[in-house]
Amino acid sequence: MEHAVTFNAISKYFASTQVQANRDVSFSIRRGEIHAICGENGAGKSTLMNILFGITKPDSGTIEVNGKEQDFQAPYDAIEAGIGMVHQHFKVVNSFTVTKNILLGIERGKLGFIDSKAERTFVEQLSEKYSLPINPDQIAGTLPVGLLQRVEILKMLARDVSILILDEPTAVLTPQEVTPFLATLRELAKAGQTILFISHKLQEVLDVADRVTVMKKGKVVGTKETKETSLRELATMMVGREVVFTVEKSESKPKNVVLSVQNLSVVNPLGVKVLSNVSFSIRSGEIYGLAGVSGNGQEALVSAISGLDKAFEGQILLDGNNVTSFDVLKRKELGMSHVPEDRINVGLNLQTSIRENAIMGFQRKKPFKKRVFLDPMVCVEHTEQIIENYQVAGAHANGEVGKLSGGNMQKIVLGRELASHPRLLIVNQPTRGLDVGSIEFVHRMLIKQRDEGVAILLVSVELEEIMSLSDRIGVLCAGKLQGELAGQDMNENNIGILMVGGTLDEAAK
Amino acid sequence: MKQPSKTMVLAALVPLCALIFGVVITSFFIMLTGVSPFSAFRVLISGAFGTSGKVWPLLITLGQATPLILTGLAAMYSFRVGIFCIAQEGQYVFGAIVAAWLGVALSLPPWLHILVVMAASMIAGGIYGLIPAFLKVKLGVNEIISSIMLNSIAVLVLEYMVAFPLRADQGQKAQSAVLSRDIWLPQFVQGSRWGISFIIAISLAVFAYFHIWKTPKGYELRMVGQAKRFARYGGIKADPTILKTLFLSGMIAGLAGSMEILGNYHRIMTGFSSGLGFDGLSVALLGQSHPFGVVIVAILLSGIRQGAQLGLQISLQVPRELGGVLIAMVILFIAAENVYRPLLDKLYDIINNRLTLIKRKHNVKEVDHV
Amino acid sequence: MFDFLNIFTINVISSSIRLATPIILAALGAAMCNKAGVLNLAIDGKMLIGAFTAIVATYFYRNYTSIGIAHPVLATYLGVFTAMIVGGAFGFFFAWMHIKYKVHLVILAIAINMLALEVTVYLMRVLFKQAGTWSHPSIVQLPSLDAAWISSIPLIGRFLTGYNFIVYFSWVIAIALTIMMYKTRFGRYIQAVGENIEAAEAAGISVKRVQYFALVFSGMLAGMAGAFLSVGHLTLFTRDMSSGRGWIGNAAALFGFNSAQGSFLAALFFGFADGIALRLQNVTNLPPYIVQLMPNILTIVILAIVSYRGKIRELKRTQQ
Repeated sequence: MEHAVTFNAISKYFASTQVQANRDVSFSIRRGEIHAICGENGAGKSTLMNILFGITKPDSGTIEVNGKEQDFQAPYDAIEAGIGMVHQHFKVVNSFTVTKNILLGIERGKLGFIDSKAERTFVEQLSEKYSLPINPDQIAGTLPVGLLQRVEILKMLARDVSILILDEPTAVLTPQEVTPFLATLRELAKAGQTILFISHKLQEVLDVADRVTVMKKGKVVGTKETKETSLRELATMMVGREVVFTVEKSESKPKNVVLSVQNLSVVNPLGVKVLSNVSFSIRSGEIYGLAGVSGNGQEALVSAISGLDKAFEGQILLDGNNVTSFDVLKRKELGMSHVPEDRINVGLNLQTSIRENAIMGFQRKKPFKKRVFLDPMVCVEHTEQIIENYQVAGAHANGEVGKLSGGNMQKIVLGRELASHPRLLIVNQPTRGLDVGSIEFVHRMLIKQRDEGVAILLVSVELEEIMSLSDRIGVLCAGKLQGELAGQDMNENNIGILMVGGTLDEAAK
Repeated sequence: MKQPSKTMVLAALVPLCALIFGVVITSFFIMLTGVSPFSAFRVLISGAFGTSGKVWPLLITLGQATPLILTGLAAMYSFRVGIFCIAQEGQYVFGAIVAAWLGVALSLPPWLHILVVMAASMIAGGIYGLIPAFLKVKLGVNEIISSIMLNSIAVLVLEYMVAFPLRADQGQKAQSAVLSRDIWLPQFVQGSRWGISFIIAISLAVFAYFHIWKTPKGYELRMVGQAKRFARYGGIKADPTILKTLFLSGMIAGLAGSMEILGNYHRIMTGFSSGLGFDGLSVALLGQSHPFGVVIVAILLSGIRQGAQLGLQISLQVPRELGGVLIAMVILFIAAENVYRPLLDKLYDIINNRLTLIKRKHNVKEVDHV
Repeated sequence: MFDFLNIFTINVISSSIRLATPIILAALGAAMCNKAGVLNLAIDGKMLIGAFTAIVATYFYRNYTSIGIAHPVLATYLGVFTAMIVGGAFGFFFAWMHIKYKVHLVILAIAINMLALEVTVYLMRVLFKQAGTWSHPSIVQLPSLDAAWISSIPLIGRFLTGYNFIVYFSWVIAIALTIMMYKTRFGRYIQAVGENIEAAEAAGISVKRVQYFALVFSGMLAGMAGAFLSVGHLTLFTRDMSSGRGWIGNAAALFGFNSAQGSFLAALFFGFADGIALRLQNVTNLPPYIVQLMPNILTIVILAIVSYRGKIRELKRTQQ
């Protein structure tokens, strides 16, 4: 038996989010190899790993572990079969010592009492065996993230697993911690572990993995030996175009600068620099597409510009006004609108009516506010207008917004954000999870707004969306604006290079 | 005629079922006394809402309901903004202490005196509402626990105040001096406790309705309570909204305290309050956090207590605690709705299917006739 | 003068320990529930039910069973035991409703507390025709246990003897719980469940079992605390006999950072505050309420500090 794990036609559909997370996934993992799984957010990687670890059950398909077919009911079963998982969000009890955490659930001792000495010895031996130095008596809450991760790994090793799943292990590490971590992975593989790790940091994948499987929209795109592939190929596989979608658009006629971002730098609370000195500007009447593999600083950028996050260095100017210190409301008043990435939890309030969702941001303005009260007629008309203009089929102002389809929900959000006739519109992953018809509609709407003079910041991981809509493209990589493209230069090739950290001079070669 | 949705029907059925279950179980307790449950409930209702005698029980019930409506509204505001603050008891007590103190300590023209007292009580209650809010918003302290602590503190301060600084007679009873008659809030029917305070309470309920559902500020506080991230994204500042709303909530509870002193007791004594804050909590929960629900439930609750006291105890010698038992049972059954809701769900489906079948047969028959 | 102070102190300490006992039991139960992540606000109600059950059960055993008629003290012990069982049963009901049916903890607690208050008085009136207080001459209080060798221990010996078994039981439970929390697997499981449910689940721990245990156990302790009130010292039942001691127990648990030793000491502290307050009333004109206020205010301060530190830690860690 060469293969540690084999996936056979795994499929999984989530009704709550109307998403087909896994579609006929089939591939194998060799014993003792380091195998990476790459893909964008929503590609289905986490779902697949959750199925492997027994957290979720597949709708169809089977899993073989070491040649035997398995049907896991709970993580406990997976652990019994020798599979361990280190999650992205650590499951650590902060007040416990390292030893207590590692042995939680499998304590050593007689009659329910704990033998602390035996436990300590065990942890010391385990740590030595796998070359993962750790202080057994340190309190987990005081450990830096890199060491916490080590504890999580040791937790699994203590349960005698031979297959280790790691979910985005380097997402939480500082750059200094990444190199020793990758070395750790190699050591573990040498000691006989089969390592499965999810990542979208392509460079690291190439550095440490033996093979990599790329997933996109729930399907497997392909499995490659890392020796035989390149960054560019992986990037293309991850975000490459699927359907040929071109939107009809005329040449843009940009006018004055609307948004000017100057020297924006953001350091997150963990001390990692997520944005470094980003500067760019967008004119009225143009669509600026911000491309990049997710996790390279897009979130921080959008939060800073929209006003949701105030902790950054640099300046943001809107129509010449310095809005750096202004709050969300003030920026809205000056003409900034934002369609967020998470339409369900941020863009909408699912517990209330469409009308109440549609008036967010307008409630204090005339004519919505008539003297002291909200004018219900104005609110309803405003909502019905949005419903009509944006073709939200079958909806009415007092209907429940939670009953709408994803596409219709996004139309409501878009309609609301555009109803204030903004100068700048920020759209973040605007067509994620939408059906073809809605995607088309959104794209056409964005072009229309551009033609009417709105400056649009389009943040998307969908390459074809970026390319079909943008008048100019900026590419983010590791928090830096790697480069900007315009006109003829806007092609998949160049974007791909920039996305993985290359420079445009390389492209010229 | 629009067909009522399934959720609406179930939402109405649950309190109904809880009431039925509560009545059934309480009946067992009634039977222990040898009295028939039917006569017991008849007497309970007439003792609660009867319109006979020199002072109608109905009016007494309305009078008793007044502070309950207010503490219920106070709790409701807290729930609507997403905070489970249960410090209404402490706010109520502090409002009462301030009223009893200023009622005696100041000498102003009567109408001014009353207004000042009420305003001071409201501020005292409001501050007492800010404390758990501030602790929660800035420090993340669980508001349930801090509320409970604050309630205990308020009661202790009350006992201290009536025993020493405010003590009027050096005799057995620890109570404050009686307020002078000219600042007593008038009652419509003497001895009924039903007076101006009831009008004020109902007005506040109406105000709350319009405030919460018809104004921009109300919209904002509801959004903060239902979907905080959405509110923040839309530009609403969650923390100030929470603090302001809980200040308002405290003010209402504090007002309740002052109105009971000005309109009812006219002095404050040891053992004042005894649970009105908690009852307000129950009223808000049972009233589905809606002002009109609060008013209805408050009147019902007071009615049951009142009917138990007047009717059960005095007429039938059934101890009045039975009223409390009934109320507790109803709360229990409403809280436990998840236990029997699936059954109701299935029942609804079965009955609905039967009805549609019958309708179809009926339509087919009619077509045949034609 | 010295003699007077001597007697004064002995009295204060002894009575404080007695006053503290129901609080200790309540606090230990509350602490365990808090540690397990379930807020138990129905301790006061269960204490009341325990008090009522103890005295009624004792009355029954004493007058209607051969054992009870022959051995009055045994009847009382049986009554205490019954109260413990009933308290545990209510704890089980509470746990069942919350864990199986996701009933809201606070509303459930309010219902149970209200029910306890009203039902006990109702039954007292219906069964015994008494409105305020009920007692019966046949009921014998729990005996004080004296041991000469204990009282001969210098200095503190006097304070360790002469109490009824519930007092000693509370000390034993405090020690047992401390050992359990620090030295056994189950203790670790409780802490894990309370601090990070996902971590506990991932480690294969049955969260349900832990929470059921905590609620049933604290129910039993609350029942016993109630029994102490009704048959431990005096032998009567009064309306609202617990007079908020369950809530003080909750406060003491928080004040003691939810640890077994901390809750024990905090409850002792609260008991002393009560004891001193009462004595001071006789000796000076100082209002007792000031002394009683301190523990409550201190609890809030401690709560604030702990929560603040927790919040800072949270911010540092989970900001992805």
